[in-house]
Amino acid sequence: MPAVAVRNLAKSYGDKQAVRDVSFEVEKGEVFALLGPNGAGKTTTIEILEGFRERSGGEVETLGVDPANRASQRWLRCHIGVVLQELAVEPYYTVRQVLSRNAGYYPAPRPIDEVIALVGLTEKADKRIKTLSGGQQRRLDVGLGVIGNPELLFLDEPTTGLDPSGRRDTWNLIRQLAADGTTVMLTTHYMDEVEALADRVAVLSGAQIVAAGTPVSIGGRDSGAVTIRFALPDGVSVTDLPVSGCTLDEGQIEIHTEDELRVLHDLTGWAIERDLTLPGLAVVRVTLEDVYLQLTREDRDTEATRS
Amino acid sequence: MSTLTPTAQPTTGSFRGIGDVKLVGRQVWYEQLSFWLNPVGAVFTVGFSLVFLLLLGATAGNSRTAIYGNIKLTQYYVPGFVAYGIMAACFNILAITTVNRREVGLLKRIRLSPLPTWVLLTAIIMSSMIISVVEVVVLLAVGRFGFGVHGPASVGAFVLAIVVGMISFSAMGLGMSTLVPNQDAAGPIVSIVFFVLLFLSGLWYPINPHSGLAKVSAYMPVRHMITAVFAPFNLQKGASPWEWHDLLVIALWGLAGAIVAVRRWEWAPRRLSS
Repeated sequence: MPAVAVRNLAKSYGDKQAVRDVSFEVEKGEVFALLGPNGAGKTTTIEILEGFRERSGGEVETLGVDPANRASQRWLRCHIGVVLQELAVEPYYTVRQVLSRNAGYYPAPRPIDEVIALVGLTEKADKRIKTLSGGQQRRLDVGLGVIGNPELLFLDEPTTGLDPSGRRDTWNLIRQLAADGTTVMLTTHYMDEVEALADRVAVLSGAQIVAAGTPVSIGGRDSGAVTIRFALPDGVSVTDLPVSGCTLDEGQIEIHTEDELRVLHDLTGWAIERDLTLPGLAVVRVTLEDVYLQLTREDRDTEATRS
Repeated sequence: MSTLTPTAQPTTGSFRGIGDVKLVGRQVWYEQLSFWLNPVGAVFTVGFSLVFLLLLGATAGNSRTAIYGNIKLTQYYVPGFVAYGIMAACFNILAITTVNRREVGLLKRIRLSPLPTWVLLTAIIMSSMIISVVEVVVLLAVGRFGFGVHGPASVGAFVLAIVVGMISFSAMGLGMSTLVPNQDAAGPIVSIVFFVLLFLSGLWYPINPHSGLAKVSAYMPVRHMITAVFAPFNLQKGASPWEWHDLLVIALWGLAGAIVAVRRWEWAPRRLSS
């Protein structure tokens, strides 16, 4: 049984279709990312999976139960953890107090000190929450998400608004949770976050999934054309090179090819024979960002027309 | 896509017996902790009614009011500020903190935890009641030892009046919170509604029960709360300490508040909804 199964999910607010015909599955133990621009339907989808919002159509299962079913809602909430997009902290409690309070809501919570250590707040355990930095508050927020020892953790844009070191800390925390066997479903609009964390990713754009796969293969990234790039060695002209289809721009050679192995072989063999170097030699694959921007172009265009 | 068949064994229902009752107790404890750990909030809530009483009591001195059978003015102010304290804690403070919790996202997060809604709301209302009782005790003590004002003659009627008041004004406070669109507006909107009603209801000076002002405020709950708390002090000869009519009006307002709260309740911050 997958941790999350979604089939033909639809949600509309009045005339506005927030999500339409979305289908995907999240396997137990994996880190699954929903990637998409603001307003693409990420939060709506995740809120339906949590049982916070009702869907308009389609089928959804979270940990084997329908999240909209009131009879099983309390059971479901004992087994999921949620970290919301907005930082929601109560300033006057200490870190330990708020974690203790929330631990009491769950039938089998994690030990408080274990969670405090996990989120790296041991030294701040008895300090008021209002004295913590933004990054520390965010980590406490994640701590509150995992205090119930959830099988499945939802993270809605967990690093939005964090500085680089705060992001790095949160990533490490998510990796650690995933390594402990927690299934993680996160939303994000950062490509590097997907590459750093996700086993699989689905791209939401204009209320629909436009692509899904692993971060390395999505949108055909692992196949297709690459760009080989290097600086033209001194005393060599473009016509001397053993490959065709080269372009020269300010001393930089670029070769677009679908046959990277052969081109590289010819090129490097040729250079070694002549005792030449190929300064800055690099094989550049389409970045996830390129794929993402291409996939979400339509959504952005409609956005631009609207505004 | 695998078949979508439920395989888990969820426990049904939202009430799980004695464990849930303990959960209410725990939640009340943390609500109290959160309230008293915020010194500004605590001082404002409890201190405000005390300062009012002290100022008005000092100004009144030994003057008397003819409206309620020539009693000392301070004998009017003490029950008046007991009523005020309850309304401030249960209506004013509860409405503002509820809006804040909703807009900050705390309500949403609690909704997504296993804590049942009824446990949360019971604990919130009980917590407001505890704060009210603290205020009542402080005000009665100051009245007794500071101004020589005697306490309620009918304790039963007094307790009934404050319990009905606490529950009803809490319901109105929760209802009010659903009418406030955002955090910034919470303080001003709630306070304006509250203080205008207080002004119309003769808290700072006794109003003649036959005046036009009394007729207007007869439709509002605040004046009834003041008279319901005032009556058990049993100051007028032959008057009953049990103000059933006042309590009924307060309870009806409480019911209206509860209906508004249930119909308009939202867990998510309203500023985020499109």
